[in-house]
Amino acid sequence: MGGLSGEPTLLAEQAAGEPSSASASASAPLVHVPSRWHSAGVREVRDETAHAKTIVLDDPAWPGHFAGQHVDVRLTAEDGYQAQRSYSIASAPEEPLALTVERIDDGEVSPYLTEELRAGDELELRGPVGGHFTWRTADGGPLLLLAGGSGLVPLMAMTRHRIARADATRIELLVSSRSLDDLLFAEELKRAGAQPGIDVKITLTRAQPPGWSGLARRVDRAMLAELGPPPSERPRVFLCGPTAFVESAADALVALGHAPSAIHAERFGPSGG
Amino acid sequence: MADPSPASSSSEDYALDGNALAGLLEEVFAAEITTALRVCQSCGTQSAIGAHRAYRGAGVVLRCPVCRDLAMRIAELRGHTRVWLAGEWSFETPDR
Amino acid sequence: MAPISRGFRGRPRREVDPARVPPGQYVVNDFPVLSAGPTPHTPTDQWSLQIGGAVAAPVSWTWEQFRALATETFTVDIHCVTKWSKLGTSWTGVSLDTLLAGVETDAGYFTAWCDGGYTTNLALADVTGGQGWVVYEFDGAPLEAEHGGPARLLVPHLYFWKSAKWLRGLTLTPEDQPGFWEAAGYNNHGDPWKEQRYWGD
Repeated sequence: MGGLSGEPTLLAEQAAGEPSSASASASAPLVHVPSRWHSAGVREVRDETAHAKTIVLDDPAWPGHFAGQHVDVRLTAEDGYQAQRSYSIASAPEEPLALTVERIDDGEVSPYLTEELRAGDELELRGPVGGHFTWRTADGGPLLLLAGGSGLVPLMAMTRHRIARADATRIELLVSSRSLDDLLFAEELKRAGAQPGIDVKITLTRAQPPGWSGLARRVDRAMLAELGPPPSERPRVFLCGPTAFVESAADALVALGHAPSAIHAERFGPSGG
Repeated sequence: MADPSPASSSSEDYALDGNALAGLLEEVFAAEITTALRVCQSCGTQSAIGAHRAYRGAGVVLRCPVCRDLAMRIAELRGHTRVWLAGEWSFETPDR
Repeated sequence: MAPISRGFRGRPRREVDPARVPPGQYVVNDFPVLSAGPTPHTPTDQWSLQIGGAVAAPVSWTWEQFRALATETFTVDIHCVTKWSKLGTSWTGVSLDTLLAGVETDAGYFTAWCDGGYTTNLALADVTGGQGWVVYEFDGAPLEAEHGGPARLLVPHLYFWKSAKWLRGLTLTPEDQPGFWEAAGYNNHGDPWKEQRYWGD
């Protein structure tokens, strides 16, 4: 890993002029450029669902990122009070940098980001970070992606990356959402699922629209057994969402025979983010 | 790494993955260490730093995801961060 | 200082008497859960509280014996080194004065030790004279595991990392021995009114 020895990296060279993906070379090391707190400009804030927004950023210092990584966001009030949270990057490396944030009712940072923040503001952030929860097309697959609520964000970045590269890696994406209204990127998920090699399944756990013929219960072992890919295909598994969701899904996958080392988890904590 | 003991789920609601500390750890090590692999001194399991369990108390604690043995204590002090590595540390960078 | 985030105010904060807020603290209405590890769940029939170490004779109580001791219900403000303060918290528990009443010792300090392995160190002078308790109820209800139940130490005049959760015993020591956070960069004493957060403060 080039990062630990401090040698200059492919990504740093690309930052000098090439806007394209960092994974241009199949053997590029997982690169890093030490990231300090710095301000990025908010280019756009757009609605995703009633409770979620996508924030598109302008960051001239951005070195590029890998799908699955996150940024730390820090807000400072006039009295000096600070609050910090981490948000997964929603954009693929091939796209303009964007975060998708879901408003948590009694949250502190997410209500600000989804209700107050507007184009022209500055946002202080650190990143991209989080090499452990990343996927590049060069890593191969097949991929099994399990999303609980807003845990879909980093997995969407992976899916977008795969599509942007016209890559053939097989993806099984299972998204658990309370209702269709809460489902992030609903239209885009439909289009993604129509692509060869990408299968998208939605399970709506609390409310289903009339005529819903899809899954309608919490993710369980039977659902995962049916979903595939089976352990024999040695898929890379990425789980993201509230802690309880991630833990029960991870337990079920291990019980089904998936190797623990193939399972990457990103827990949001009890509140879900 | 998945936690093979489902019974511990209810007590773990406040744990995050070490990956959530990636930004903090990068400030300390000037490197992305979440993919580095550590062998637990207690149970012998090898896990990525990003897969260790992170807890927030006065400071931050990183523990083995299998046996919860202490791996690291991180104190964010005024303007700088101090990291204490528990026990004997081995650290292996992955092939990529 | 970091750039100001336009329009960010944090959670709404009630107007409070500033004399109740130590330097650098912000008052919160919720009760954040912080921990150095997974939440232990010790059934009361497996619980005991021990006082030992540099004492003439160690003492211990089962849960029933502990609950039979004289208790107090009281209201205090608490202050966490991570900068949140919670005012007017109500607790029920046994005073350290009561627990130490029968204990003969020349030691001036103790290490509190807990289920899960957490430790913190305190001077006896900081927990006696009505300054410390072992509490088992918060806000009139049994202390929840995530907040330290069955019982935790409560020393509200010091930063809250000293109010050790999941308390199981005190080991008296002739010398002050840094506990879990004290050894990792946090102040050995921890007085929020002097902002003693870290070493050297």
